[in-house]
Amino acid sequence: MKRKLSALVLSAVISFPAYAVTDPLESPLWDYLREKFIGNDKYVFDDRIKVELPSFAEDPTQVPMTIDASALSGDIERIVSWADLNPIQHILTYYPHPEIVPRVSLRIKVQQSTAVRAAVLTKDGVWHVGGSYLEAAGGGCSTPSMANADPYWESHLGEMKSRLFPREEGGRYKFKVIHPMDTGLVDAIPEFYIEKIAVRDAEGEQLAHMELSPPVSENPVISFDVRDATKKHSVWLRDNGGNEFEQEL
Amino acid sequence: MISKKTLVASLLFIAGPVLAAPFSYDLKPQKITDNTWVLQGKLEDFSNKNGGNIVNTGFVVTEEGVVVIDTGPSLKYGKEMRKVIESVTDKPIKYVFNTHHHPDHFLGNQAFKDLEILSLPKTQQQIKSDGNDFAENMYSLVGDWMRSTEVFLPTKTLDIDHLDLGSHRFKFSAFTGHTGSDLVIYDEKTGVLFASDIVFYQRALTTPHTPGLGVWIDEINQLKNYKYKYLVPGHGPVTMDDRPLEQMTSYLKWLDKTLTESAKAGLSMTEVIKLPISAEFDSIKLTKLEFIKTVAHLYPKYEDLYF
Repeated sequence: MKRKLSALVLSAVISFPAYAVTDPLESPLWDYLREKFIGNDKYVFDDRIKVELPSFAEDPTQVPMTIDASALSGDIERIVSWADLNPIQHILTYYPHPEIVPRVSLRIKVQQSTAVRAAVLTKDGVWHVGGSYLEAAGGGCSTPSMANADPYWESHLGEMKSRLFPREEGGRYKFKVIHPMDTGLVDAIPEFYIEKIAVRDAEGEQLAHMELSPPVSENPVISFDVRDATKKHSVWLRDNGGNEFEQEL
Repeated sequence: MISKKTLVASLLFIAGPVLAAPFSYDLKPQKITDNTWVLQGKLEDFSNKNGGNIVNTGFVVTEEGVVVIDTGPSLKYGKEMRKVIESVTDKPIKYVFNTHHHPDHFLGNQAFKDLEILSLPKTQQQIKSDGNDFAENMYSLVGDWMRSTEVFLPTKTLDIDHLDLGSHRFKFSAFTGHTGSDLVIYDEKTGVLFASDIVFYQRALTTPHTPGLGVWIDEINQLKNYKYKYLVPGHGPVTMDDRPLEQMTSYLKWLDKTLTESAKAGLSMTEVIKLPISAEFDSIKLTKLEFIKTVAHLYPKYEDLYF
């Protein structure tokens, strides 16, 4: 039913200017956040852009999400993702690279039930917007991180575990990094989060990279696929405290 | 034999549809054997419609008084349960047990606050630390059924392994598979095993506080050693055989295998959530819903093993 509806919306997009389209997720903040994240650029709602979420958040501090823009692979400038009703809306901005599939999985915090978006800017200057709605009891952004109660992170900050998994084509990297990812919304705990992640090749050249915001969950677990699993890669990251970490994948 | 009472009840039932539905749990005691009753909850998730009555509670009437096993999801349930007990016996209630710290098993405690309420020591601590959050969550899930319900802690912790009351001997075992502290009560006289939420039958098990599926599987095996005649699961129908234990074992093993293989293949959580539930479990209610929750609870631990 919903699918049919968005197909209808999509066909409307093709025949009418984009501004005629209404938000399929009917979020009260769509117009405000659209302007904040993509300005007054041209945009279309496009169900080829997938934001995969469970229908409800069992744990609002660790909600699994996959952003999949692989349908527009090769044509993408960048991807911006946000949660409409989070106190900090921005989740991440992703700059893809031809050697890496434009699909990323991670976990996020949500404060309440909300629409979650991925807006994909293609080289022709149009934003393709996908999204899903998530039910949540809430509190994910204003709950103290687990790290707050356990000093383990202090001596392990930035430690990474990673592994390459074979895929039918290419390979999948999954890595986990120890970081509290504090939002700054909990009393007397300043925001402290990884703000940049880059995948580099064996020569140290930057391939894809991402800017993260505090709604990315504590001790982030991130996975993405590379087209050629025989090449060596490393991941580099920096937090807002200026700490830099790098590890071979 | 149809008693006058049931006849009146069925007449009322026939007239029922034209009346407004009464705001009541309408608890129906099911006599499973001598002196032993079970109030079976629905095979559902918490909702405004069922008022949280998705749980099995029970009571045993001995010569020296009544033993109550779990108090239900709300003050209202507790009160209605107490009325049901009074309708069955004139004997006073002697002991009330909370088998574990999940809200549908202890939030009826207020209705029994004049009595001794017992739990395992860890269960009492868990209710102390998580109880208010659970209660708050229940208010948002089931609404007005919860009115005036507050956390009332077990008054005493259990430090004995059996209790003789009248001609009944109740044996206590401390299990951990479901919440880290799960009380299983076996009535030697009648052969009734109150397995608490160590056993779910025909309703998918829940995992928010399990110490691990392996621990739970081991404990199901231990239950097979009891020579019970009747098995009362925490959720689902009472049986006289070990089908519930077989179902628990295969479902727990399937969960463990699915999460292990997913982690080994590097699947993301969103991919795992989309995996189909084995057709073998088609008869079990709510498998899809509970699987999504289980992935959230347990998959990170499985992932950690395969980095």
